[in-house]
Amino acid sequence: MDRIFYKLECFLKSHISRRRFLKICLGGLAYFISTNSFLKYAFAKSASSKGRPKKGIRGDHDLVVAEGEDPYKNTVSAVKELGGMGRFVKKGDTVLVKPNIAWDRTPAQAANTEPRVVAAIVDLCYKAGARRVNVFDNTCNEERRCYDNSGIARAAREKGAKVYFADHWNVVKANFPYKSPMEGWPVFADAVKCDTFINVPVLKHHGLTGLTLSMKNLMGVCGGTRGLIHMDIGRKLADLTDFISPDLTVIDATRVLTRHGPSGGNLEDVVTFNKVIAGTDPTLTDAYAAALVGRDPMSISYIRNASERGFGSADLTKADILEYRTEGRQP
Amino acid sequence: MKKLVVLRRSSQAFFLLLFIYILWSTTYPLEGLLPPEAFFKTNPSIMIFTSISERLLLPGLAFALGMLALTLVFGRFYCGWVCPLGTMIDISGSLRRKRDNLKRLPRLYLNIKYLFLFVILGFAAAGVQIAWILDPMGIMARFVSLNLIPTATLLVERSFIFLIRDLGLSGPVHDIYRALRGSLLGVKVHYFDSSLLIFLFFAAVCVSAFFISRIWCRTVCPLGALYSYFARFALMRREVEGCVDCLKCVSDCRMGAITDGRNYLKGECVLCMDCVYACSVKSTMFTFRRQGRRSQVTAHEKEKSGLSRRDFLFLIVSSIFITGAGWGKRTVKRKVIRPPGALEEDMFTSRCIRCGNCMKVCPTNGLQPVMLQSGLEGIWTPQLVPEVGYCEYYCNLCGTVCPTGAIPRLTVEEKTSRKLGVARVDRSTCIAWALNQKCLVCEEHCPVPEKAIKIQEINIGGEIVKRPVVVPELCVGCGICQTKCPVRPERAIKVRP
Repeated sequence: MDRIFYKLECFLKSHISRRRFLKICLGGLAYFISTNSFLKYAFAKSASSKGRPKKGIRGDHDLVVAEGEDPYKNTVSAVKELGGMGRFVKKGDTVLVKPNIAWDRTPAQAANTEPRVVAAIVDLCYKAGARRVNVFDNTCNEERRCYDNSGIARAAREKGAKVYFADHWNVVKANFPYKSPMEGWPVFADAVKCDTFINVPVLKHHGLTGLTLSMKNLMGVCGGTRGLIHMDIGRKLADLTDFISPDLTVIDATRVLTRHGPSGGNLEDVVTFNKVIAGTDPTLTDAYAAALVGRDPMSISYIRNASERGFGSADLTKADILEYRTEGRQP
Repeated sequence: MKKLVVLRRSSQAFFLLLFIYILWSTTYPLEGLLPPEAFFKTNPSIMIFTSISERLLLPGLAFALGMLALTLVFGRFYCGWVCPLGTMIDISGSLRRKRDNLKRLPRLYLNIKYLFLFVILGFAAAGVQIAWILDPMGIMARFVSLNLIPTATLLVERSFIFLIRDLGLSGPVHDIYRALRGSLLGVKVHYFDSSLLIFLFFAAVCVSAFFISRIWCRTVCPLGALYSYFARFALMRREVEGCVDCLKCVSDCRMGAITDGRNYLKGECVLCMDCVYACSVKSTMFTFRRQGRRSQVTAHEKEKSGLSRRDFLFLIVSSIFITGAGWGKRTVKRKVIRPPGALEEDMFTSRCIRCGNCMKVCPTNGLQPVMLQSGLEGIWTPQLVPEVGYCEYYCNLCGTVCPTGAIPRLTVEEKTSRKLGVARVDRSTCIAWALNQKCLVCEEHCPVPEKAIKIQEINIGGEIVKRPVVVPELCVGCGICQTKCPVRPERAIKVRP
């Protein structure tokens, strides 16, 4: 102890030489620069983006609805009837498959997309010549639990997809050609930079909007405080869908959570539909799925908003819809 | 070649790395090779005093007693060969420039640790466990779990972000980063309240070795005191043949255990093996066989234990008086949100050894160390801070990793029915109640299958507004509604314990 006090005393009494003074100044400067550059990197401005280009690829039908016991077969057959995956995925493409992995729930609880539907999509993409298939979601519950318990991470990895967690720093700011409440919202860069975007939502109940469908599923590519999207949700989701403009939408209606959504948990709330709905217009697929569970599509705020503003059509009477059972049908 | 010293150092390095590995793997999905509470089960100070204070036999007590039995054979091998904090102290001690300024401590100082031990025993007899305060394993575990691992992951994460975003190295680097996040790094960088204080406690212990070698182990450590007491009767002993009184071993001994060339304090020796190689006539050895005269340890044997009988009685009686005020059954009101299934508040603070395992394993980072919110006796116990993270509905990891059962081991079904608190909506700030706007983020996230937050629909000027209402009977108090509530700076829905 005496030693310390002695040294301290020496230090206080000592004359600060020019060399020591310079050393202290340089040290302080180095510290200032390093912390400053650290802050610069930590809060670096992310680039803005005008969204994905609208490719406008049409299918052979406006909508294909395949019904059958096996979700994998349903998906493969529905995409085939729509014109085949080759129409959406070109050789060497980077594809983003965006399932709903939001909740720490098992496939039987029907809060997430059926893993076999995701596996089928990944499989089809690679068969069509995709260079790389990414799968991720910005989850609501803890990421690892959602990825594991939903069964999607394993099913997609088995088919060769790159499954990873959303990087919250790797975002671009949404920039719209029109005035939008979503202006400047952080969207994950991978969702914007991919060549093909395939949206694979699950059809289920949702407290605020009535139903969670493909447009609501796109909230999973958003960063930031996503709760704020709920204010004026219809407008915001329509704009977001316009910004992302998914090339292909495949709605999983294998098991449908009809109450206590979107997280559910009770097996009594789950009804088996065994259907897969594929289409190129997100508004139309959502409208069909809403009608499937007996809801008026116009009562779902985001479908109404998107159809009123002409982003898509929600008129099921005019659409060319192919409905069939996959069993006994020769592809 | 100092074979025994090399052996001792590799053992120290092995156990230090093992300790860090065990704590590093204390995370979802808990697939480490060893259970996270393994190290703590071998800690006799924690296990015995907690058993005494809680009047029960903690599972795993046998491991702790086994360590004492091994001490009866080998001496204080734990302190010199295993203890991770001891290793850190040795490392920081070896950074000293001059190695000859080991101040010999007066013999009396070595007895301070027995004083602490008896105070802990006294409190344990009175039903309060305070062994955690000075326990070396707890200090080290808190440092590793709450300081070292979060800092290391932060640095790795930041450097990857720098490489990918600022240097533009995407592709394989990005894939490595993503693979690491899913496995070794963890999805998010955890942070902990008051972690600086926890670090300072640890740093103070290490830095003390800078001035006097191993002073913590010699004068403070209660675990060391316990081992030291048993090591007096150890079978293995230091033997010296033909000493020439060069006293090199005396000045080299990190524990100051060697009184003169031939004699040593058996209870202080941690078997570091330095004296074997310091000996100028190479005649020092550790052996089970008794050689030559019996005089080697008599100097120590004559000296009684650090405390006289009168001191001992005084300590026991005074500790009873100290804790006597709280002897009667009193119910302490819970001021913070405890982990799921946690014992009654006073039992919980007494049973908890502040190892930090639950906070390390909590997948949402919601479990945080308490400072003084639950009184002085609750310092560094875990609490759920919903602003940081919520309690995952189907997760029961905190109870699984608790070494003393302060958070009981529950099945997932049992855990989902345990109440942590009750949520309450602040209608003056809630977006739906105060602004009549769409929100219901809390209702969306509520994990209870029947939804503990119900929707109340009300017609305001032709617009239907949906508002959240909490059903207290259904609410489990997991806090996800508070975590996800978009209202700032104060959330509009809050969980109360």
